[in-house]
Amino acid sequence: MAEDFSIQGMLDMYLFENGQLLERLQEIVLEQKDEECFDEDSINEIFRTMHTIKGSSGVMMFDEITKISHKLEDVFFYLRESKPDNVPHLELVEHVLEVADFITAEMEKIQNGESADGDATEKVAAIDKFLNAIKNGEGEKTKDIKENVHEEPQQFYIAPMATSASRFYKIYLTFHPDVMLANVHAYKIVYSLKEIAEDLLHYPEDIISDEGSADEILENGFKILLQAQCSEEELKGLIKEGYELKKVDIYECTAKEFQQGFDSFGTEIRIDLESSVEEIQAKAEGIQPGEMYIAPASQPAAQEKQKIAPGDFVIESKEPGKGKKLAKDKPKKQEKAAFISVDVHKMDMLMDLIGELVIAESVVLQNPDLKIPGLRLDNFNKAAGQMTKISTDLQNVIMSMRMVPLTNTFQKMNRIVFDVSRKLGKDIEFEMVGEHTEVDKNIIEHISDPLMHLVRNAVDHGIETIEEREKAGKTEKGKVTLSAKTESGKVWISVKDNGRGLNREKIIAKARKQGLLDYMKPDSEYADKEVYQFITLPGFSTNEKVTEYSGRGVGMDVVVSNLQSIGGSLEIESTPGQGSVMNLKIPLTLAIIDGIVMEVGKSSFVIETGMVKEFVGMRENRLIKNPSGEEFVMIRGEGYPVLRIGERYQIDGYQADAEDGMLVLVEVEDQTICLLVDRLIGKQEIVVKPIPDYIKKVKGLSGCTQLGDGSIALILDAVGLIE
Amino acid sequence: MKILLAEDDFVTRKSMTSFLSKYGECDVTVDGMEAVDAFMMALEDEEPYDLVCLDIMMPVMDGYQALMGIRNLEKERNIPKEKAAKIIMTTALNEEKNVKMAFELGCTIYSGKPIDQERFEQALKKLGLI
Amino acid sequence: MSVQDTQQDKYVTFKSGNEYFGLKIQYVNEIIVFQEITQIPESEDYIKGLINLRGKIIPVIDVRIRFRQEPIEYNDRTCIIVINVKDTVVGLIVEKIAEVVEIKNENILSTPTVGNDEKCQNKYVYGVGKVGDGVKLLLDPELLLKDDDLAMLELASKDTMEEGE
Repeated sequence: MAEDFSIQGMLDMYLFENGQLLERLQEIVLEQKDEECFDEDSINEIFRTMHTIKGSSGVMMFDEITKISHKLEDVFFYLRESKPDNVPHLELVEHVLEVADFITAEMEKIQNGESADGDATEKVAAIDKFLNAIKNGEGEKTKDIKENVHEEPQQFYIAPMATSASRFYKIYLTFHPDVMLANVHAYKIVYSLKEIAEDLLHYPEDIISDEGSADEILENGFKILLQAQCSEEELKGLIKEGYELKKVDIYECTAKEFQQGFDSFGTEIRIDLESSVEEIQAKAEGIQPGEMYIAPASQPAAQEKQKIAPGDFVIESKEPGKGKKLAKDKPKKQEKAAFISVDVHKMDMLMDLIGELVIAESVVLQNPDLKIPGLRLDNFNKAAGQMTKISTDLQNVIMSMRMVPLTNTFQKMNRIVFDVSRKLGKDIEFEMVGEHTEVDKNIIEHISDPLMHLVRNAVDHGIETIEEREKAGKTEKGKVTLSAKTESGKVWISVKDNGRGLNREKIIAKARKQGLLDYMKPDSEYADKEVYQFITLPGFSTNEKVTEYSGRGVGMDVVVSNLQSIGGSLEIESTPGQGSVMNLKIPLTLAIIDGIVMEVGKSSFVIETGMVKEFVGMRENRLIKNPSGEEFVMIRGEGYPVLRIGERYQIDGYQADAEDGMLVLVEVEDQTICLLVDRLIGKQEIVVKPIPDYIKKVKGLSGCTQLGDGSIALILDAVGLIE
Repeated sequence: MKILLAEDDFVTRKSMTSFLSKYGECDVTVDGMEAVDAFMMALEDEEPYDLVCLDIMMPVMDGYQALMGIRNLEKERNIPKEKAAKIIMTTALNEEKNVKMAFELGCTIYSGKPIDQERFEQALKKLGLI
Repeated sequence: MSVQDTQQDKYVTFKSGNEYFGLKIQYVNEIIVFQEITQIPESEDYIKGLINLRGKIIPVIDVRIRFRQEPIEYNDRTCIIVINVKDTVVGLIVEKIAEVVEIKNENILSTPTVGNDEKCQNKYVYGVGKVGDGVKLLLDPELLLKDDDLAMLELASKDTMEEGE
């Protein structure tokens, strides 16, 4: 694995390797937190880890990280050598986790380009005290144990400065065709850039002595690769279109592209479509976020480690503007990489473009020009079918590239359970099921916080204290289970606890007090599910005590709105005395869904095809009104409530008396309702776009989209409509 | 402190010289071979350089070769480790294999370009040069 | 002179009712002809709905209704001014667009605080700019977009929260 990263810099290597070590460290610690003490293998592994981190941090001159790992290394050295049996295990565990946290926080700062300014002095002193306490406890024995010997680093690595401030540009200049001595003009420009350039390359290279370069420049343009700290605007100010320069194109690019030289002025990343979608998806497992796996068209015989040797870096001859050309001709083509790191922005752009493609496709396929009667569209349809197939495959591949396993997110929860339960004096086990389930990267970002909140709630309020559990006759340890699975295009994540469950009476009493209940409907008529949903309302918390971790009533509603922003929902199940389950349901593919387009009055609506059970024409008046004014329809002997979209949303042009209409049977969980619309337009793939934030949320609407004819349709959310 | 600089690019040479002169008297060479020659001369004059700053990509002889050359000269004269010159490689090359090779060949500090002056000073302090 | 300087003091003006209003040009992205609006249910009366601007879906509000003036029929003079206020992009439906004028700071008077606001629009006006013989009422786009109800709601929810805990 390390070879794959040889293209990255020293700093990245340092951060990556230590990141891995710290993750493994945390794993070991959490595995053994409940034991009496660390076993021999773990002690050795932790010792080696701290030794490695100390060493590499010393070379990089991150002094505080070096100090703290040095101290912890001493502790584990002592444990390894003298094997004392008086070690307060939980305290040790806490110290290790504290050290890991400190180093992780510092590394994050470094990764973000900030300075690692944390001060480890206090923590180091605390660990020192801890170590001395153990040593004193052992008394005489310690005199014979040799001291841990540390070698002071003698070699240091200094990362280049301000690499983030340096920007890279590709500049492409087109001169007017009748300009004389274009090469001299080009030289003038290069000279004026030298002021601000940190590094500059141009092509053609010899513009001073080679007169033929003038023709080359007029024909193919003058290309410049520039590294500088200035902005694009400042550059545009320096190089102006004028009577010599016909056109100036400036593109900002990445450092990598800059280093690729002039070959990169036209290269793209190759995507191999010969591997089937399944193959690519399968290979995409286990890849870090932001990385892309490209199946090589042919396997390289052996991955040759590119070796370097002194003398490889001798420069042929230094000419102005020339890239430093090495005497040893190093091939510019990169070795076939199995993994490529891709800028996340580019992934997002790719997603957006795929969305635009779907819209453009429907504009083409539903073009009014095609509706001319008498047209024979057989060939066209065949070609269109092929195009649709390709675009669907493209969508699938791109979606799969963005899939990331939930493992890391779940692991974070492990830590939270441990920390919170420790602080509250509860003994809680944490279980993970299906943590390798993959979801879109965007989803991970949105569920992290809600999950944290739900897990904290489970630990804080769900699981009882040890005494309470004894009193209730519960013999098992308190347990929080986090599980994930994908089914029918959705990912189901649940947080389950075996604690005390929700108190239905308290909730419904509070709801009544806050005026949330229908005063006509008695408490008993409210289903459990409905009652539990009340806790997701803003400001609703039945906790008498507000703790540091939860109870302020600002959490659950935020959880729900975070979920809704990605099209998901929360369902709550609970059994008093036995525990609760929080079920999160999130659609896997965020942006593009298969939808049915319908018309009501002058407005268009779309509903996800998966929600629709069937369509029934409204020819005969089958509507029945019950005493409270609600309408029903009888279909094959069953009665279903009817929701008139036109009335519910007061749509212009909606006619309540129309006998014609279409009933759309929509099923959500175990409830079915009929939506009454004017007509059906058809089925199409739509790109889900959020309703602009400026507009207040409307219940039952989960987004909007652009239809083939450019008009806007609102997307109906069945769950919201049923409520 | 006596400092030797090897850097082939004019502009970089100017900025490195002004930066390094803070710490001591600075001699300038423009390629690896010149650097080794200068080092040899200083040894013969019994006024060896304390700090050598080598660019990696240079004409005639690259930084690695110069590094090897200098270390060999010191070995031949049995100069003990503590008295050996501290050698800094400066370069835009940042890959792990470049750094590893530099350290293996005996360089003391490897600094990416542009040089982080604060860290540079920090390293010099740690090495007891200032 | 940098681009910034030349934009200073320039205002896009439009007519609404009997008055002319001005908006700092920095807020204006573009001005487009009136186009079909998709209604959004359950929205305030002045929020007319959504339009499709070259693939981007943005909300539009009717300025006359916002000023609590009698709404009028849209005709071929009706335009939409697309503004960008702190990354919120909204279209303003105005009855007639007028020219872009330059109003230097010394020609701007701050609005006198009137006791009772008969004209609702004064809520959004922060100054009066003299141009030639006439005046333009200068609008603060943030106030124009901000939801009056929202402010009240924020106050209300604070009370219920303290109660409910």
